[in-house]
Amino acid sequence: MTTTSTAADPVIRVTGLHKRYGETRAVDGVSFEVPAGTVFGLLGPNGAGKSTTVEILEGLRTPDSGEVRVLGVDAVHHQDDLKPRIGVSLQTAALYPKLTVVEVLDLFRSFYPRGRATGELVSLMDLDEKRTTRTQDLSGGQRQRLSVALALVNDPELVFLDEPTTGMDPAARRALWDVVLGLRAQGRTVLLTTHYMEEAEILCDRLAIMDHGHILEEGTVNELISRRFKERAVRFDRIDGLADERLAAMAGVSSVKHENGEVLLYTRDVPATIGAVLDASEALGVEPANLGVRRATLEDVFLDLTGRALRD
Amino acid sequence: MNALLLLTVANIKSFTRDRAALFWTLAFPLIFVILFGSIFSGGNNQRSIGFADLDATPASAQLASAFKAIDGVKLVDGSEADLVAMMKKGEVAAVIVVPKGYADTVAAKAGPATVTVYTDPSQSSADGATRQLVGFVLSAVNQAATGQPPAVEPTFAPIQTADLTFISYLVPSILGMSLMQLGVFSAVPLVADRQKLILKRLQATPLRRWQLVGSNVLMRLLIAVFQTVIIVGVGSSLYKVQIAGSWPLIGALILLGSLAFIALGYVIASFATTEESANGMTSVVQFPLMFLSGTFFPIDAMPDALKTVARALPLTYLGDGLRQVMVDGTPFAPLWVCFAFLAVWLVACFAIAARFFKWQ
Repeated sequence: MTTTSTAADPVIRVTGLHKRYGETRAVDGVSFEVPAGTVFGLLGPNGAGKSTTVEILEGLRTPDSGEVRVLGVDAVHHQDDLKPRIGVSLQTAALYPKLTVVEVLDLFRSFYPRGRATGELVSLMDLDEKRTTRTQDLSGGQRQRLSVALALVNDPELVFLDEPTTGMDPAARRALWDVVLGLRAQGRTVLLTTHYMEEAEILCDRLAIMDHGHILEEGTVNELISRRFKERAVRFDRIDGLADERLAAMAGVSSVKHENGEVLLYTRDVPATIGAVLDASEALGVEPANLGVRRATLEDVFLDLTGRALRD
Repeated sequence: MNALLLLTVANIKSFTRDRAALFWTLAFPLIFVILFGSIFSGGNNQRSIGFADLDATPASAQLASAFKAIDGVKLVDGSEADLVAMMKKGEVAAVIVVPKGYADTVAAKAGPATVTVYTDPSQSSADGATRQLVGFVLSAVNQAATGQPPAVEPTFAPIQTADLTFISYLVPSILGMSLMQLGVFSAVPLVADRQKLILKRLQATPLRRWQLVGSNVLMRLLIAVFQTVIIVGVGSSLYKVQIAGSWPLIGALILLGSLAFIALGYVIASFATTEESANGMTSVVQFPLMFLSGTFFPIDAMPDALKTVARALPLTYLGDGLRQVMVDGTPFAPLWVCFAFLAVWLVACFAIAARFFKWQ
């Protein structure tokens, strides 16, 4: 048997994973670990290799090389031992179009020896009003919610959510975040892919940024940001009469940037820089509008790593 | 087991909620049975004959009742001119005119009385039937007039010959055609499920592939039973088609035929990539099968080149076998050949599908 694992072992351990389609190297040497009871995010633009990686972990694809252990099981050769213990939501919700919400849930429930009650999942994913609606008549967000409900039907130890909030309105997105955090509170492990930075920042204990089949950087959100951006930025709406040369000479400032009519002063000493800005504007007889401090975001990390914005 | 059952139920629900599938598998064959049934079995035994009685005597009335006494003849009274006009419109098959003075001439025995019969020689069978009918009635009248007993009299003893009525030929043929469509059409939802990534999603569950295929086959077989009941039921209740053969043998043939065509459906699903292309390929396969396998007319009536084609088609053997076991039809191939051909077909299609079918 291949199912010997202890609490200390990571739930997922991927080593040297490769997968190519023809000339394309979809996954090119990926390694990472996901500790039990955490939410792990794979971030990256379309075509980065996130879905291929996830589908190998789910047992849906066979890698060309590399080792994959999921819940202590060799996911490449013993997928059948794994399937009852994991929950999967594919990037595109795959649903029988002519069946109703409850019928699809009952059907999937029958594939597993144990699991959660249909009614409970319907309420959890806020589909009570759609119980008897055929899935072909659901909206994109509702289909996505049903797809997540199906991933939870066997009460899995590990849940894979591939772009789970795509097509959801902000309220539904927040509700799904609560579901994911609820799973973590129960000690479950969640692996999700997303291209929403806010989502990754709120949900993920650790995350990996992928592009062109590689993992570029991996760590907690704070680690990722502080590793690249040691400075913060003081920002305010552009003031006429404050030239860039004067701004650059202010206390602590290392560089000056303009973004959408906003001035960004990157600085090692935030209070000193703010003091200098206030002095200078007072001398001009104006008050700086929307004065504030900006921390670098995941978006900045991503832009810095890949040279492009995530949602392109 | 529970999964297999629920998946079968889910398949049946998906099927019955799909109007197009329902139409092609249930309504379409029924339309054929009812259409051909009412054209070829109803009404044509009844012959309407115009009867213009210009004499209006007990003797002429007696003549009228002699005609009416014959099975399937309906007399229409009227004037000679009106009846001839009706005949030209096709409302009566012939017109008999009894002239004034008929009774007197018969009673006087002064030479034969003349009865005029309008008939259309261009309608050969109707013309022949009219002449026979009139000849038969008048010879009886002549005999009665002379008072002599007949020297020879025929006795009719009807027996069933190998020649089937068209509708009894058609009912097993249509059943074979419907089973073919039911099987071949299994490609479409299968490809749709693959295209919608449902097959991929199922692969991430503990469901086994044999359960998935098994539930599809089980669902089709249940519908095959339903089709058989409907088609045979309508054929025997509306058109008096007698089912002669043994039901276990009929059942075995239906089972083997359905499986062979479901396997053909899986072959189509192995090569079609989209729901549309599956639909197109299904049509390309089903129409030649429908028209070249002796569904609507016997293969013996086809030109030699097409006969060769028919010999290679599986529906030929399913239809032929069904006609043999259901209505005692004339064999095109021995029954064991029908079974063997379908079995070989099933194995071959299964092997091709097992080799080329893709789940994602």
